[in-house]
Amino acid sequence: MLRYALRRAMLALAVGFTVSLATFFLLNFATDPAQALAGEDATPEVVAQIREQYGFDKPLPVQYARWLGGLARGDFGESYHWRSPVGALIASHAPVTIRLALMAIAITIVVAIPLGAIAALRPDSFIDRMALGVAVGAQAIPGFWLALVLIIVFAVKFPIFPVSGDSTWRHFVLPAIVLGAGSVPAVMRLTRSGLLEVLASDYIRTARAKGFRGLRLLTRHAMRNAMVPVVSVLAVQLGAKLGGSVIVESVFALNGLGRLALQSILGGDVPTVQMLVFVFAMTFVVLTFLADLLGAWLDPRVRLG
Amino acid sequence: MTLPRIARAAAAAALALAAALACPVPAFAAKSDDTLVVALQRGITSVDYLYTTKREYIILSLLTDDGLTEVDPETLEVRPLAARSWKAVDDKTIDVTIRDDVKFHDGSPLTADDVVYTYEWVLNPKSRANRSRQFGEWLASVQKTGPSTVRFHMKYPFPLALHSMGMSMPLRKKGTYDDIAKTGALPLGQSLNGIGPYRVVSVEPGRKTVIERFDGYYKDSPKGRPAIKRIVFREIPDWGTQQAELMSGGVQWAYDVPYDIASALGGAGPVEFVNGPSLRVGFIVLDAAGVSGKDNPLTKLAVRRALNHAIDREAIVKNIVKGDARVIDSACHPAQFGCAQDVMKYPYDPARARALLKEAGYPDGFSFDLWAYREKDSAEAIAADLAKVGVKANLRYVPLATLDQARKKHQIQSYFGSWESGSVPDTAAIADVHWSATTDRNMSGDPEVTADMIGAQRIADPAKRKALYEKGLKRIAEQAYWVPLYTFSLNYLVAGDLAFNPPKDGLPRLYLTRWK
Repeated sequence: MLRYALRRAMLALAVGFTVSLATFFLLNFATDPAQALAGEDATPEVVAQIREQYGFDKPLPVQYARWLGGLARGDFGESYHWRSPVGALIASHAPVTIRLALMAIAITIVVAIPLGAIAALRPDSFIDRMALGVAVGAQAIPGFWLALVLIIVFAVKFPIFPVSGDSTWRHFVLPAIVLGAGSVPAVMRLTRSGLLEVLASDYIRTARAKGFRGLRLLTRHAMRNAMVPVVSVLAVQLGAKLGGSVIVESVFALNGLGRLALQSILGGDVPTVQMLVFVFAMTFVVLTFLADLLGAWLDPRVRLG
Repeated sequence: MTLPRIARAAAAAALALAAALACPVPAFAAKSDDTLVVALQRGITSVDYLYTTKREYIILSLLTDDGLTEVDPETLEVRPLAARSWKAVDDKTIDVTIRDDVKFHDGSPLTADDVVYTYEWVLNPKSRANRSRQFGEWLASVQKTGPSTVRFHMKYPFPLALHSMGMSMPLRKKGTYDDIAKTGALPLGQSLNGIGPYRVVSVEPGRKTVIERFDGYYKDSPKGRPAIKRIVFREIPDWGTQQAELMSGGVQWAYDVPYDIASALGGAGPVEFVNGPSLRVGFIVLDAAGVSGKDNPLTKLAVRRALNHAIDREAIVKNIVKGDARVIDSACHPAQFGCAQDVMKYPYDPARARALLKEAGYPDGFSFDLWAYREKDSAEAIAADLAKVGVKANLRYVPLATLDQARKKHQIQSYFGSWESGSVPDTAAIADVHWSATTDRNMSGDPEVTADMIGAQRIADPAKRKALYEKGLKRIAEQAYWVPLYTFSLNYLVAGDLAFNPPKDGLPRLYLTRWK
């Protein structure tokens, strides 16, 4: 187990270094941070002054080495755009994204797992077809479109929820639905197929023979084994939500990490983008590690290492 | 847990949710509590305009800051603001007398020491203020000559000096930057002690900035006393969300809205579409000097004139740009001082364009690269017009930074550019950037044009300046160094109960808004 954890930690470091290197060079090739900071109509004098002040006139390897050196000393750098330490900036934006991601994943679980279970209990029935329709629909609808439709219906026509912002829990309901809907198809179908496989196994036949039926059979005997792959997918989905809610956060004007990433990219804020990509990559590594642990706990046959 | 218990728990949860949802949706109020909510695509991260450059910050700074002067929104002439008066001692020296009733938001009076401090701070390269180099270009020093008088010494006669004192230099209390002077850091800009008609109440970067009417604002300020008590700047990056907020009453003012969105929403329910001018102009720069290659067809005058005749600018304005946009013939905005209109014109005439191409030795046309970074629809329409006369424009639509880099490397034959002039109503604001001998934007290779266009911003006499600009602009048109295209317009969406007049220079002055 210890060797396994160490190997994962080394992998995390390698992933972190690779993504930071790729991000740094891609960002610098794709944009001119000085121009992005100054704005479209800034005079050449202002752009030149900013380029010099921030050291953008130095060779890229020198700039990257400087950033890496800072990171090694625990200095995540200072945001050019926000003018505050990147660490503090990410910490201040993270709660919104974490809250949104957890609400979204809760919605996914509440909708997808029961739907998948019902579909598995009545395969090829009308309910199964309906559940499949929901899954296909949720997969096909673009998030930004669903977001605007929900805003028009539930914030403009029937003002139950606010249009945008993040000051109360109500502000998170519509974005969480949009974000959660995207994961419903994968989780629902995996739950269905996992349960179908488990329900056909010998120990379930034995349980049925002992008189277990319906919900009790499902929750007490079948679900635990069927959930092993679902947990892995949920971990990946949570990682995606923690790092990939750029569109949802922008549409609903939520001041989270996704929007911070977008603003930083558009503003040529290299230190912030680099650190965000690093954090997102580490989030994935940690979540998949936790999913592996959880999988081993759910299914003792699974061995780590 | 049995099924009935689950059902009971679910019913209780549903009831609790319904009760919670029955509570009113929290929102920023509008007229009822005298609060104007403004939607911005890009948010405010710093309220100190000395350390920012983008447009949102100018709009905010006009509310929270005053300079010594300002541009009269009606006449676009410079007039005193925190200054009571000024007097030109000679071409390179200006004496300014400061008003004695101006107060900072902390209640302290504005003094000559504060004025000198502000300018000296900006002129000091260590300040890292965004306009240090810009001011350092023309301003030699500022000196206190009395309790309320200061003298400005310029390096050369600079006709935009008084304008710059207003629009680019908000005044700061002496000692404001003492802390950062020691550390060399940039100010966070989360608070402000300005002298404008509004004071900053709170700044939440990424969310909102709240400002409130400053009761100590000098009574007879040319800006007047603002009618609206509080203004909230909210960052809402998505146009669709801005529309929804406007429709639901959460926002009362949005600007620079794409025409199609603004015109579709304006008139729908409580929102009005207001269209106004902007000092931005669009143009195509042609490589007449052959910096991208000597065999470039654009080095031939007849070819450049043919391109000018081949583009149906009226149709582009009418069908694509729309609103308050107008076709231009001169390499500046008609509202700018010195922007001569009596220049050679190139009406849309494809037959004439074809004849000119034949004359230049291209009877079957030719192919060239047209770079662009914005206005894709217009660029495509231009390429289509050129195709009609046999010229194939390979549209290279790239980010601005890519275009800048390619231009620096002299890889660009032509590009679709636009310039807003920082809302400065003077031709100098566009000429300086595009016609100096050192800028890569100047692809004319014509020292005569540079002498006229840059020379005009180093003399004080307005008549002489006008004459120089006229000469330079006429030559630019005759030599067809550019294809001047059109002016832009700005689209605003405004709540029905808000009175807002679009500004002539495209700089919204929200202190002039009021409730109907």
